[in-house]
Amino acid sequence: MLKTHFLTPYLYLFPAAALLLFTFGYPLASVFYFSMHRIRGVSGPFIGFENFLQVFKDTTFHMAAAHNLQLLIAVPIMTAIALLIAVLLHERVSGWETYRTILFAPYILAIPVVGIVFNNILQLNGILNESLRSIGLRFLAGDWLGSADLALWSVMGVIIWREVGFGIVLFQASLLSLNEELQDAAKIDGAGWWQRLFYVTIPQLRDVIEFFVVVSVITMLAWVFGFVFVMTKGGPGNATQIMELYIFNFAFRSSLPGIASAVAVILFLITLVLIIPLFRVHSQSNEGRNS
Amino acid sequence: MSESLRKITRREFLKAAGIGLAASSVAGILQACGAAPTDMPATKPPPVVPTVASTAIPPTSAPQSAKSLRWDWWGEQEAPGLETWVKKTLDLYKQKSGVDIQTTLVDSSVVVTDIQTTSASGNPPDLMYFWNGIYHMESVWMGYVEPLNGLLPDDMLKASGATVLSIFQGKQYRVGWYACSPIILYNKDMFDKAGLNADQPPKTWEEFMAACDKLKSKGFTPIIGGLKDGPWGEWYLGHSLAQNLDTPGEVLSLFNGVLDWREPKYWEQWQRLGDLWKAGFINNDFLSIDLYPGIDNFGTGKGAITEAVVSHAPKMQSMLGAEKVGAMVFPYGGKGKMAGKPMVDTQGIGIASGSKSKEAAAELLKFMGTSEVMTSLFNEVKVFPTYTTWDGDKEIQDPTSKYIWQNWVKNPAGIPYISNLMPTLFWTDAMFVNSQNIISGKFTGEQAGQNAYDVTQKWVQQNPDLAEKYKAWTKEMNV
Repeated sequence: MLKTHFLTPYLYLFPAAALLLFTFGYPLASVFYFSMHRIRGVSGPFIGFENFLQVFKDTTFHMAAAHNLQLLIAVPIMTAIALLIAVLLHERVSGWETYRTILFAPYILAIPVVGIVFNNILQLNGILNESLRSIGLRFLAGDWLGSADLALWSVMGVIIWREVGFGIVLFQASLLSLNEELQDAAKIDGAGWWQRLFYVTIPQLRDVIEFFVVVSVITMLAWVFGFVFVMTKGGPGNATQIMELYIFNFAFRSSLPGIASAVAVILFLITLVLIIPLFRVHSQSNEGRNS
Repeated sequence: MSESLRKITRREFLKAAGIGLAASSVAGILQACGAAPTDMPATKPPPVVPTVASTAIPPTSAPQSAKSLRWDWWGEQEAPGLETWVKKTLDLYKQKSGVDIQTTLVDSSVVVTDIQTTSASGNPPDLMYFWNGIYHMESVWMGYVEPLNGLLPDDMLKASGATVLSIFQGKQYRVGWYACSPIILYNKDMFDKAGLNADQPPKTWEEFMAACDKLKSKGFTPIIGGLKDGPWGEWYLGHSLAQNLDTPGEVLSLFNGVLDWREPKYWEQWQRLGDLWKAGFINNDFLSIDLYPGIDNFGTGKGAITEAVVSHAPKMQSMLGAEKVGAMVFPYGGKGKMAGKPMVDTQGIGIASGSKSKEAAAELLKFMGTSEVMTSLFNEVKVFPTYTTWDGDKEIQDPTSKYIWQNWVKNPAGIPYISNLMPTLFWTDAMFVNSQNIISGKFTGEQAGQNAYDVTQKWVQQNPDLAEKYKAWTKEMNV
């Protein structure tokens, strides 16, 4: 057997590791560094945790964080819708491939495009309200983006509309790889459609559901800027203010990247706190299955 | 291939590549760490480190030696057609001077910070488009903008229409380019039909409310606009707050917390906005549409009065008919010395401190300020050039356009657009929030004043360095 120096494998790994460190590690370190300085341009004096203190006592940040948490309500909704539709498509209803393409289409649209389209649809005198009025449902017409009470829910609805397609395709792909014998056995045992869904199908999809939930949680915490920026700019008032927009405003409008970085650090830590337990649960369940 | 190269095995090549990459990565990281920021005062210009490139540049007395310049600009967004005109004009300049100008049309969200980030990274454009007031003065205080005194003749600086908001401690940092003064446009036809005198628009707030009432009673939407994206509220604040102010210095004192937003005279403009809304004088989808669609709705005859900037007037004339569009000053509604006067504002161009070709950049500015170039700007883009040396009275034929030019561009009695002194944090957290919350019914005028006060205190805490600059600027602006 060929003997190699014990460092050789590490040397092969080093270029990729160094590249990763430089492209991800360096910016991350910079964000932590900026968060402790009053940055003007790219430099400024060290101010300790002052940026964090400013952020924590800012009511706008409180609202932004609360809105991000509110958006997490979309995660179980998206998961349930995606799962249900995927299972229905898996039943091979007539034209299921066409339905799948149609349902996935929103996901491949660019977020600004989605935002602009829904901007027009959801205006007070836009297509949705005009349609409702024309069919005698005037009482359902609302100022979807102009009302502080409705705006965040409207944005959430648009996010669900776009993101659910990803879940459908993901779940459907997993369904195709499931062991059909289990389904057949359950049928022979007299299990109904819902029983098979809850006791056979969903347990088998557990891993991919967990993955989708994790991705969706990250989306709601750190990937909704595009929707909000295009559709509401955080308004009316602060009704749709979110942490990403807060970061953007400080970084690119108020020229205070130090404060923007402090929020980025907070967001990073929150995401870690939420995701690590999810992965821990995942690994524990894997260990349980293996044992 | 040489013998020595042929002998290198795949394994050896990978090892060498690994070592090379590692060395370059470590060098990059060390360089980044070594470049750790110092406690440099915000106003101190970043140190200029002589490089091969900079030392190779010939003396400043030979400006034409620059072969190319970079110019980051904005404006197509508010003056459609400007991009085509810029390209054409710069092609002409290249033919005349041999200097190639590379342009970048920047996004609205980075007009303020573009000069800061590019300068900080050591690669600023030579010329930069600047909004007026604090939107470029902040970069001046960081040392990223070159004073134009000495680079351009004094009479040119004075005539360029940059306004007093481009001057700090006697130095001017922009030249004007085209006018963007906020203005109130109205539909003369609707005024006639409502029994109003279209040639004598309302001058006081009471007259204005009465006119809105008459328009509404005839089935017209008196005021049309869009507040969803925010700038409508900025224009409104500029117009309405000025009614109770004596000098631009007073608004600087408000923005840096020396004066108190909780005094009724400083928040009553938001109360008045609420009054307009509650009376049903504003379009019902005001919060649901953006600024420009709102202005376009005026052009399609959906409302009688709108807020705009002077560069919108020609488009509105082409949509409604030239004779149907009137221009009026925001109604007189306060006791300040600035009340009832038209506001004058301009977009402008400056030179980056980090430019290696400042004189060549100044030459381009001189070219842009010639009468021929300004006339072509007016004729082709329909925006008003800002130079007082340009003979608008001769070049402008349309009476409404001439009236606008005389009152909102070339008017020595015009007042500066005070919203240009608003810190960006105030824009996002107070102006934007207050105007929308007033319409939503979530704020009263007094609550809006309290929020403005809170945001101002927050800004002072977050920006102690800028607050000091504001104080220094206030002394100049109180004149």
